[in-house]
Amino acid sequence: MMNNFIKNVNKEFLIASRSGLEILMPIMYLFIIMIFFNISISYVQRDIVLELLPLMIWISCLLICVLNLETIFKDDYEDGTLDMFVVNDKYLELDIIAKVLSHWILSNLPVVIIAPLLCIVLGLDAGTSYVLFITLLVGTPTMSLVGSIAAALTISLKKNKILISIIVLPMYIPILIFGTSAVNNSFFNINYQSEIIMMAMIFLIFLIVAPVACSRAIKISLD
Amino acid sequence: MNKALLKIDKIYLTRNDIPIISDFSLDIFSSTVTNIYGRNGSGKTSLLKILVGITEPSSGSIINNAQVSDEKNITYVGHKYAIKSNLTVSENLQYESIMNKNKQATINNMITKFHMDEYKNYLTKYLSHGQQKKVSLIRASISDAKIWVIDEPYSALDKEAISMLDNCIIEHLKHDGVVIMTNHEAIDNKNFKVSNIKIDDE
Repeated sequence: MMNNFIKNVNKEFLIASRSGLEILMPIMYLFIIMIFFNISISYVQRDIVLELLPLMIWISCLLICVLNLETIFKDDYEDGTLDMFVVNDKYLELDIIAKVLSHWILSNLPVVIIAPLLCIVLGLDAGTSYVLFITLLVGTPTMSLVGSIAAALTISLKKNKILISIIVLPMYIPILIFGTSAVNNSFFNINYQSEIIMMAMIFLIFLIVAPVACSRAIKISLD
Repeated sequence: MNKALLKIDKIYLTRNDIPIISDFSLDIFSSTVTNIYGRNGSGKTSLLKILVGITEPSSGSIINNAQVSDEKNITYVGHKYAIKSNLTVSENLQYESIMNKNKQATINNMITKFHMDEYKNYLTKYLSHGQQKKVSLIRASISDAKIWVIDEPYSALDKEAISMLDNCIIEHLKHDGVVIMTNHEAIDNKNFKVSNIKIDDE
């Protein structure tokens, strides 16, 4: 059972390593957003910019996460691997967690690591950058899990990007509220632990709910 | 007669109020080959998908007696080959099951049997349609599953590969295996006994 899980993650990494520079795409997005953002607000007072900066980064990470959601199951649906998951559905939920985990590591983790470093380079204090890192580390996997349900529901549609965004949008709002409020609190030296605990709770809930919902959704879409 | 390995009981399938399969029942016993044939659009592929559990029938049931604990014991080769275009032939096969020495030997053996040795380290996207089908068939045959469900096994294959596949099926039958396949017509020129079943909506 665990062997199967490791095998699936391993396979995803091998495929990703074959697909060239695609893995750099999320980081590129982040750089582009940050460069444009900094150019456009270069007339604004410095301390206001510093206050906005971590929040902007949080929003860009969220957008990057939404943009690459559809790739979670797309290839597997098109070449029939998803059919195989269902046929040998010993642990379909575990297969799904493996897929979501490898998707998160490959397309969100680089952003989570780069974003706080970018913050420090742009002049934010280390404490807030650290909180930004922690909130992203807890928040983005939740977003991947929530997104996987939407992705699974819409795999059979040709153009599913818009539908995914619409389904996912309301469910991202709580994550965004807690994430940005923790970062903001840390900027003003207020206690931020409770927000992070709330985010961890949301993550745990979706870790249990999402694979079950996802496996049901995949079966419906393949039908 | 012993217990049926797979019992299909009064399957109905409707899509958009159009009946595709109506009242289909069939018992499948071990060491048999079943060929389901019919014209295009008669519901052959839908029936196979119901058998392996991808599609749910509108009504009716399938009882799988080959099921060992939580393992379904079915392998399926459909129109989509379920091979990754960015992995090589041997990688594709290796990720199919938990690897051990024995399995590796089986894989190499099958690759040689199907004359795929020189393509072993090719990415599958560079292979022809027929070669990809061969990889998919090898994938099915190396699994430990008792029931092979193959959709149009003989399409896109050359003569050599067809006889190779027949040998595999004979070997599989010796181990009490079951093969369920679809074709466009009845099959009676093989070295093994095939029970032909016509599926039709009238």
